[in-house]
Parts: sequence; C-alpha cells; structure tokens
Amino acid sequence: MKLLRDLITAALIAAAYPAAVSAGVSAIDGSEPERQARWQEISAHIFGDRPIEAGGDLITIEAPTRAQDPALVPITVKVLRKDEVRAVHLVIDDNPSPYAAKISFGPAGDPSEIKLRVRVNDYTNVHAVAETSDGKLYQTRIFVKASGGCTAPIGVSDAEALKDVGRMKMKFGDRDHPKEATLMIRHPNFSGMQMNQVTRLHTSARYLDRIRVSYGEKTVFELTGDISLSSDPVIGFTYAQSEQGDFTVHARDTKGASWEQSFAVPARMNE
Amino acid sequence: MIRVGSRALPAAILAMLMISPVAAADGPAFIPEPPGLWAGPMVSDTPATLKGARVIDIQGLEVLMPQKPLLIDVGAADRKPDGLPSSTIWKPTHRSIPGAVWFPGAGSADLPDEKVDALLRRIAELTNGDKSAPVVTFCRPKCWGSWNIGKRLVQAGYSSVHWLPAGVSGWQERNDTTAVTPETGWAPKPPAASAGTFVNGEPTASDQVSSGD
Repeated sequence: MKLLRDLITAALIAAAYPAAVSAGVSAIDGSEPERQARWQEISAHIFGDRPIEAGGDLITIEAPTRAQDPALVPITVKVLRKDEVRAVHLVIDDNPSPYAAKISFGPAGDPSEIKLRVRVNDYTNVHAVAETSDGKLYQTRIFVKASGGCTAPIGVSDAEALKDVGRMKMKFGDRDHPKEATLMIRHPNFSGMQMNQVTRLHTSARYLDRIRVSYGEKTVFELTGDISLSSDPVIGFTYAQSEQGDFTVHARDTKGASWEQSFAVPARMNE
Repeated sequence: MIRVGSRALPAAILAMLMISPVAAADGPAFIPEPPGLWAGPMVSDTPATLKGARVIDIQGLEVLMPQKPLLIDVGAADRKPDGLPSSTIWKPTHRSIPGAVWFPGAGSADLPDEKVDALLRRIAELTNGDKSAPVVTFCRPKCWGSWNIGKRLVQAGYSSVHWLPAGVSGWQERNDTTAVTPETGWAPKPPAASAGTFVNGEPTASDQVSSGD
C-alpha cells in the first residue's frame, strides 16, 4: 500500500514539475552535446586540426563548482609530469573571448602548478590543455557555475582603477614551499564589456596581454593574457630552484604601456 | 495596552531608529512600480510586482511550460569591445531557456517607435495574433528590461503576461540552456571605429563609447 501511495505521489510531483524531476536525474555537468560542440568549435579556432586527447593523467584543473564572484574565479591547473609539458592553455568555453591564457614555460619554469583568477560570463566548461615538448595536446575540463563576470562593473571610476597601474608585488613561498611564488600586478584589465551604470558608457578594453617572468638570465614563463583574466591579476606559479639572481617581471598591456620590476629571492634558513 | 518598562522604552526607540537605515542598506528595499516604463539604470533592483502581469518563479515556469508559452528573452547581447587586438577570438554565445526567442536590448525604455512596432508585430506573429496566449518575459536577475517588455505587452493588451525575475540564471540552476541567435533586426551594434587613446595613463573621452542598448 505504501509503495502504491509513494508511486502516486511521485507521479503527481512529476506531472506538476516535469523539469524539476528530470533535472534530478540528469544534472547539468558540461557533458551535454551542445557544450561539447562548443568546445569542438573553440578548440578548432585555437589549435586548428591538431588532435586533442583526454589528459586526466597529465593535467588537472580545479575551480569552485559555484563561484562566489564571477569576476574573480580562482583556477588551479596542475601538471603531473612537469618535464613533458612546455605550455598550458586555459580556455573558458562560453566566454565571448574564450582563449583566456596561454602560459609557455622557459628553462627556469616548472609547470607543476599555476593559479589564476578569471572572469566567467556564464555557466561553462573551463578547459586546461597541456602542450607537450613534442607538440601533442592533452585536455581536461571542469564545469563552473558563475555568470556575468566579463560585464561586471569594476565599481570605481576608470581613473581610480588605473591608479598605480603596473605596480607589482611578488610573494615567495616559505621554507615548506621553496619553489612557489605569487605575482600580483595592479591593472584593471578592462574587458571592454564593463558599462558604467550611470553614464551607460563602456570602457575600452585594456588588459595585460604579455607577462614575462625570468629568474636570473632564464625565462620562468611567459603568459599571453586576454579579457578573461580578472582585474589586478594574481598569478601563482612554481619555478626551478637551481637558478641564480633576481626575478624580473616584464608586463605589457594592449595600449602599449609596459612595466618592469625586479625582486630578490629571499635568503632562506638552512639552505 | 502595551506596557513598556522604563529601561525597555529607550531600547525600543533605539532599536526602531536603528532598524530602518539598516533595513534600507541590507534588506531587499521596497521598489515601487514606476507608472510607465523604467528609464533608470537597467541593472538594478526591480519591484516585486508588475501590474496586469503575473510574477512567476522557476517552479511557476516549469508548471507553465506544458502550455508552450512564448518565452521572450531580452538579455543584452555581448558587444564586441573597443580596443580588442585583431588576433582575439571573438565568439560570443547567448544561452537561454530552450525554445526562447531573443530580442537583445528590447527591454529598453527609449526604443524608437518603429522598433516598438516591429517588436509587437513579431510577437503577434509568434502568438498567432492571440493576445490571451501565455507569454513569459525574462533576462537575468535585477533586469528592468524584462519588466519593461512585460509592461509593454500588458499595455498592448496581452492578458497572460508572466514576468520571470529569476531569468535564465534561475532556470539554469536545474535545467539546461541552449544557445540562441537574435531575432532579425536585434543583433548588437558593432563597436565604434576608433579605439580611444590614453593620455598619461588616463582614459580620454574618446575611450568611452555609447552603449548599444
């Protein structure tokens, strides 16, 4: 009797809320055919007809499933066999400008871990693609729920957002994390899609499109950025510890402004 | 008769004084319906009501779906930014409730008359001239555009207008979306020809261009 009653209740709920019930069985996770088709389209634009294999054993991507701030979504990409990888590409499929970043690693680089903060414009797959030294491509993805990140107003006037533009800070890892560093660059990274609510004017796109970090004479990485990178970029990275000298950061934006700053690696105890 | 102790009274007055400004700052402020279309900031708090229309939530829409309502999305189209390098891959996509028709920017209060006529003609076509056909207007939360177009349809004599303030954002919590293309005549305007210049790192007036919507 109870089973019958439960069945009737379930049928009534299904009749009243068909979508709710079907959503219960098939939650949206980014595997939907239309989302896969979007990836095919975008990846063909970026990589041409080069094959891209599933690369879960080489590259991983982490992001909050539901982002608190769509204009500031933290992304962590990890490369599991660092010696095989020369570049990492980050693609936010449904962003209007999906190719968020390309990070190429130099002789002083270590692709083990990269942390970025990005803008997410709508619920989307975010793909990380590892490019190996022999030119092969391997991808992994995560589905992120956030929307409005590219258009979200900066919240201050353009002049205020540009105050101290190009100022940098570098934070080096402590003794337990000797190969890690975090680079912070002050820059609004205007997406060109942000509208002032009062004047109803859009600010032109102006963002950091090239950031190069070197350690001594050698390149750690070179990042090619896009409007999908959050304002005041914060980039976490790992590096090869064996080098000598200072870190130098060279950053350039799409208006042709550029900045350079050097940072001494702090002397550590017990080294 | 309510008796208030001598110590409780000042506390009660203090509480009353404190509650109103706090509520105004944190709580959902009461937004009255404007008499006509809203011409203020298009992304801001909206009223809880729309006279002549029904306000529905996502469950309400799910219940309405078997009646195949006309789903009208007025969400803005991504406008190609000024100042993008030519190498940038620009591939905007607009995901909406499956089956929706998309009129980007049609929720604006200051549409030219001919645009309003074209809009109403197209909606009449899509509803087979039946003004009692269910229609649902939406974009995203805090979107006056979907309120405005709902208002326009009520004023045009539609009797089954539903306004979905949660918009596609609410829908995609439980349901998938599909990419839609704008209705003819409603594609976003291309950016102005010249990109602005910066003087001493400050944006000049030409760095800002008028919004298309």
